[in-house]
Amino acid sequence: MTAYILRRLIMTIPILLGISILSFAIMHLAPGDPASMLMDPTISPEDRERMAERLGLNDPPHVQYLKWMGNILQGELGTSYVQRRPVADIIMERLPNTLVLMIASSLFAIILAIPFGVLSATRQYSTLDYSVTTFSFIGVATPNFWLGLMLLMIFSVQLGWFPAGGIQTINAPFSIWDRIHHLILPMIVLGTYDMASLMRYTRSSMLEVIRQDYIRTARAKGFRERTVIYKHGLRNAMIPVITIFGLMLPTFIGGSVVVETLFSWPGIGQLFINSVFQRDYPVIMALTMFSAVLVVIGNLLADILYAIVDPRIEY
Amino acid sequence: MKLNKRFIILLGLMLVFSMTLAACGGGGEEPAPQDDATQEEETEEEAAEETAGEPQYGGDLIYGQTGNPQLFNPLYSQDTASGDIEALIFAGLMRTDENLNVVPHLGEPVEVSEDGLEHIYRIYEGVKWHDGEEVTADDVVFTFSIPLHEDYDGPRKSYFENLETVEKIDDYTVKFILKKPDAAWPITAGYELLPEHILGDVPVAELGEHEFNRNPIGAGPFKFDEWVEGQYVRLVAHEDYFEGRPYLDSITVKITGDSNAQVLQLQTGDIQMGAFPSEEFSTVETFDHVNISQILRYAYNYFGFNFRNEFFQDLRVRQAIAHALDRQAIIDATLDGHGEVAHGPVSPLSWAWTDELTVYEYDPEKAKALLAEAGWEPGSDGVLEKDGKKFEIEILYNEENIARRNTAVIMQEQLAEVGIKATPKSLEWGAFLDTINPPNYDFDTVILGWALGTDPNPKQIFHSAEIEQGLNNISYVNEELDKLMDEAAVELDEEKRKELLQEIFKILSEDLPYVFLNYPMDNVAYPKNLHGFTHHPRVPFYKAHEWWLEQ
Repeated sequence: MTAYILRRLIMTIPILLGISILSFAIMHLAPGDPASMLMDPTISPEDRERMAERLGLNDPPHVQYLKWMGNILQGELGTSYVQRRPVADIIMERLPNTLVLMIASSLFAIILAIPFGVLSATRQYSTLDYSVTTFSFIGVATPNFWLGLMLLMIFSVQLGWFPAGGIQTINAPFSIWDRIHHLILPMIVLGTYDMASLMRYTRSSMLEVIRQDYIRTARAKGFRERTVIYKHGLRNAMIPVITIFGLMLPTFIGGSVVVETLFSWPGIGQLFINSVFQRDYPVIMALTMFSAVLVVIGNLLADILYAIVDPRIEY
Repeated sequence: MKLNKRFIILLGLMLVFSMTLAACGGGGEEPAPQDDATQEEETEEEAAEETAGEPQYGGDLIYGQTGNPQLFNPLYSQDTASGDIEALIFAGLMRTDENLNVVPHLGEPVEVSEDGLEHIYRIYEGVKWHDGEEVTADDVVFTFSIPLHEDYDGPRKSYFENLETVEKIDDYTVKFILKKPDAAWPITAGYELLPEHILGDVPVAELGEHEFNRNPIGAGPFKFDEWVEGQYVRLVAHEDYFEGRPYLDSITVKITGDSNAQVLQLQTGDIQMGAFPSEEFSTVETFDHVNISQILRYAYNYFGFNFRNEFFQDLRVRQAIAHALDRQAIIDATLDGHGEVAHGPVSPLSWAWTDELTVYEYDPEKAKALLAEAGWEPGSDGVLEKDGKKFEIEILYNEENIARRNTAVIMQEQLAEVGIKATPKSLEWGAFLDTINPPNYDFDTVILGWALGTDPNPKQIFHSAEIEQGLNNISYVNEELDKLMDEAAVELDEEKRKELLQEIFKILSEDLPYVFLNYPMDNVAYPKNLHGFTHHPRVPFYKAHEWWLEQ
């Protein structure tokens, strides 16, 4: 297992290298560069040119890439063009906010998806099953931003139950409750898609498992239904679900771009979108690599978890 | 089930852990208790009439802003989000009042030499930095020396290119020596000051990255207190502000992201005050808890012709298009009616305003006649043709701007009526700039706007010297105009200068390098109990020390 993990980790190096070259190339091929974003009439063409020179934008792209790579190898993420301070600092300020949102919405997704998925499978064709199925179809089909706007309109504007944005009340002392209060709507918006699809996966995986011979055997041995379902069935049904979940991890970054913009949530997603609009190359590159690493880790985690829950897998 | 329960508790703990993690990043000290809602109501009713005229100290204001500030140092910041807040923290020798006149602030001009090259300014005594030190001539010399230094790498070097040197005469007097006479010098002289006693020893090359920029000390009415990245910037009253302590205890600028979020948070009260686009006017009007202040913004929107496209080199064609556009209808449809039709590159707010601009009324028939005169004949499909070429053009705009998108669509219809086939085309802002700016100039027509500078000379936009590198991306050449704009830049006599500028505006309104579309409005929503607010067309926090909340 250790050897397997090591092998997998080594394999990630060429993958990440490839991703970095590709994203660097795309970024530079895209129209608009950082210096040209300054169209303030008080900033003269000469100043713009001087700044391009200072930022190294006049070097050929491969030289810029090699410089960037050299910095990365020394653990240097570079300096933001716009904020003029280390990219690492900027990301570290925002990361906790995104993590909170990601963890909360994953929990929200898992806690609701698994029990309802299981119930819906064990009571196939019941009213509950139909409701769960309908709900999950709607959940998968609802775009993030639309759901977000609806929740904002209903729960913030009409009912006034939740704040319309931000992560805390301004000018108020810190309180966990206040944070949770701000977290609930964005958490629901970000988690709904994953909850709905996890529910579907749990249901179908569970349906398949409870038709297996060993379940029949377990029942025949006289175990209680609950033991059969949760101990023998669920563990096996979770195998594909865990894989899917591992693969979902990186999509949180993508989803959070929308959610964070909608709810003024100062996380990585918002930072990414701002940086793209400002062509803040060092920040864009750092965040791209960050999500690439997340994808790789998500995959790896899925495989490891897979091995843990499924004893049949050998390495 | 046991396992499930334990699992849930574990997950719950993780959630709590992650919350505290976030709290470490942004836990604010100095919490100010929120006002009791009931108390507020009571006082509002009781005190409405009695105290409306009597300024009161105290109160915290939450102001919403869509942009995320980058750093607070006027010589290095590049975005309006930072600049707006800088205007609260920093102060300069001069400032621009609400009528856009340059007036004294921390000091005043006392002497100008005959040739206009030497300007002496005196600082008022007793003006204090936020840390208690006095503002002196050393600070002025220090601040203005930075952009003159060869290591300076910020975006403002050319702003000071006409400055030869700056010298201290005594503790409160400085002398600026210019390279050539400069009518706009008082504006430059008002540049916000930086404290020499804090930054004096920092090498100029390191100023751009210095921690001061995230922890600024200025001489403005409000002191920097706390900045939580992406969330808010908190400023507190500067007790020793030389015009008197601000009435408000604090202003917190909350970053809302975009104008939708901004309006939503105004509605829910998450922010108390903020600007909003004209398209949202009828929405904000329904909010019971805010007043709306509306004035003309110091800006104009325009429809620009690319003179590299031969179609537009004929004045009759440009005039025809001006006649073909119903600009009032465009304002009604895109700005909810909130704006004024523009006829030239000068704002009615400017001291150089003239009403002798050429007005091209909406008149499609006249447009058709002018086009016919210019040799354009309708083809079989109704689209005009000349020398085998069809009059087909693209209208370029940046896709984020909804008002411009709608403008493009309406123009498409209006131009179709006179036989011009116009196709709206949108690009993301960065790509858009890349396309229209040198060296590409790759567009037929463009919808855009200019925020005007304090100095009304439009040289940077219409001078032929600005084509290769500058802002004259429509490649407009008019030698007579070039000469006039050069003259206006060095003319120190105000009356003569005004005449020159008005002449320039008249020529531009006649010659139509752009069809000037409209002057947009600046809309600010503010709490009903806020008093003393002066709506400045360019500075959102203008004279914020005079704002007060009726408690």
